[in-house]
Amino acid sequence: MSRRFSVFAVLVVVCACAELAAGRGMSPAMVWDVLGGGGDATERHILFQLRLPRLLVALGAGACLGVAGLVLQSALRNPLAGPEVTGVTPGAVLGAVTATGLGLAGWESPFAVVVAACVGGFTGAGLLWLLAGRGPGDPAQTAVHGVLVSAVLGGLTAMVLLVAPGELGSVVQWLVGTTEGRVWQHWHLLWPWALAWGAAAWLMAGPLALLRCGDDIASAAGLSAARARTLALVCAVALTAGAVAAVGALGFVGLLVPHLALAVFGADLRVTLPGAALVGAAVVCGADAAAQLVSQLLAVALDSGRLTLPVGALTACVGAGLLLVVVRRTPSRTF
Amino acid sequence: MSARTATESAVGAAAWGGRFPRSGGTCQLVVLIGLLVAASACALSLGTPYVPLYRLPGALLDADTTLAGVVVTELRVPRLVLALVAGACLGAAGLVLQEALRNPLAVPEMLGVSSGAALGVAAPLVLAVSIPAAVQPLLAIGGAALGGALTLLAAGLGRSPSAVLLTGAAVAAALQAALLVLMVMADQLDLQLIYRYLLGSLSARTWDDVTGLWPWLLVAVPALVLCAPVLSVLRLGDEDAEALGVRAQRARFAALAIAIVLIAPVTAVCGPVAWVGFLAPHLARRLNPGGDAVGWLPWSAAWGSVVVAVADLPARLALAPVETPAGAWTALLGVPAGVALLRSGNRRPTARRRSAGSEARTSAGAESRGSGPDVVPTEVGETR
Repeated sequence: MSRRFSVFAVLVVVCACAELAAGRGMSPAMVWDVLGGGGDATERHILFQLRLPRLLVALGAGACLGVAGLVLQSALRNPLAGPEVTGVTPGAVLGAVTATGLGLAGWESPFAVVVAACVGGFTGAGLLWLLAGRGPGDPAQTAVHGVLVSAVLGGLTAMVLLVAPGELGSVVQWLVGTTEGRVWQHWHLLWPWALAWGAAAWLMAGPLALLRCGDDIASAAGLSAARARTLALVCAVALTAGAVAAVGALGFVGLLVPHLALAVFGADLRVTLPGAALVGAAVVCGADAAAQLVSQLLAVALDSGRLTLPVGALTACVGAGLLLVVVRRTPSRTF
Repeated sequence: MSARTATESAVGAAAWGGRFPRSGGTCQLVVLIGLLVAASACALSLGTPYVPLYRLPGALLDADTTLAGVVVTELRVPRLVLALVAGACLGAAGLVLQEALRNPLAVPEMLGVSSGAALGVAAPLVLAVSIPAAVQPLLAIGGAALGGALTLLAAGLGRSPSAVLLTGAAVAAALQAALLVLMVMADQLDLQLIYRYLLGSLSARTWDDVTGLWPWLLVAVPALVLCAPVLSVLRLGDEDAEALGVRAQRARFAALAIAIVLIAPVTAVCGPVAWVGFLAPHLARRLNPGGDAVGWLPWSAAWGSVVVAVADLPARLALAPVETPAGAWTALLGVPAGVALLRSGNRRPTARRRSAGSEARTSAGAESRGSGPDVVPTEVGETR
């Protein structure tokens, strides 16, 4: 087990190096030089004030999403229950956009954005609960209901965006999920929140493992299933809201990283929850590096100066492909 | 009339589906026409300038001389006509898709058809490729066909409805992502335009847009009429349909093609007006429970028109100087209403816990026996 952990830790470090080296304006050799203490002021600024916080935010957001997805899937016993599919992410987006549009939150009060995203996430999850009912429904059915909820929430978000347009361009980037232009303030906001709720999620590993076995077994073992599930949902929504406030609605990470983590680290959640955090961090970081690389290549190929591929677009495309695999496999398998 | 002939005529009427409107049909007709007239009157008279109802005929007659006349004939009438036509197309397409895939949630939005069409229209806009207006529907059709075909190929046709829908959601998400990449590349002014377009807006549409739709309708409507009886046979399930001489897979692909031809031109003109294809068929089914696909098709088209025309009113007037997109309103109101209809329909005891095939057979049998409107022809896809 520790070998697998070290393999993934190495993977995270490799992705982080790729992320630091990728990008315009500095060659990888220059990056190495600056890390060793050389370079002029501009280069130091690029590396330490732009690339490093961006890397850290990507790592943190990926870890948040991975853990949130695993908690959701375990608590709801639904292999298709990512934060995107259960209405949490669209709700969080709606909350953040509404709060910013109403002037309740903004760059001056970034914490308010997180809180608004949290409230929105709860709204989305509550809507899905109203729609799908509290019974243990068919997982795919719940996911389909989640798509409907997302449609309603997306319509509301669009309405808010059109009434209070503001900086539509940056908001659109954020809607698809991007790590572009993240600075130290974002990181200082993200890490305490992620650490606190991540620790809470890890403390709940035991109850979650019982919930995965089904309500009957959990009750027989002396666990109050309803209460544990509520706490787990709170945890998952808070983690998702933190990630959404930092990088936006990154597609499909929270849905697919848990499957990867379960396949690699096994079903013991005390091990798999940190594992999911590692995998999520590696995936988002790697995707960000790949997105930068691809946008550089595209810019050369299309001969246009300004072209950025948001990382969310990449994760959504890859994730959609993987989701197809999951969907094709799922109905024959009991969770 | 003897009891026996009465029964026979009832059987005949039921076998012909909704073409002979019974009491439920008449009531629905009254409600529908009432809503349609009210929505049209509001659409023509409200706004700035306000044209009172009694002045409308005068304004329509001397169109060129007065300000009100110009506004009504050049702005409001085309917009209303476009709303009605677009709604009818979307409603009919929604019914065709739902019946062909035997899935009450098989709507263009869930199958990647809408996102594909939107991508086809938005891509040249962003990339600043100038194309003639006549080609635009073709691009939309290409995109819609791409989205729908991807979904159906990836999901496989014979799979459970939920799997098809989830696959569709994944394909739609991927296409959305591609669209968002395009939007990120666009500059701020283009972005506003594209964003509005993507939500489905009817603002500033003129007669040119309306006339652009007719050729496509000329293709689609005869095809629709030809394919409707096959759809009601498909409802029985693939095996029974094959036994009756319908090639199920081929019919399904034909239905999908027709739906795409209906949806794509509308998307090219006014953007993906969302979820009309979900709400309209359910309204038609719910208010006319004894019918079959042939009977529901006109109702579904009519309800689609009403939904879009009604949704266009708050879109135009709710936040008066600012126009909100009609598609956002149809999504906001249509999804909850459609889900409520779906759920309340499923809650009836007849609709529960039966396998797909027996459900179809019982509902079809109930229809041919001409039993009353209390038998809900259940959606054959397993919704619950």
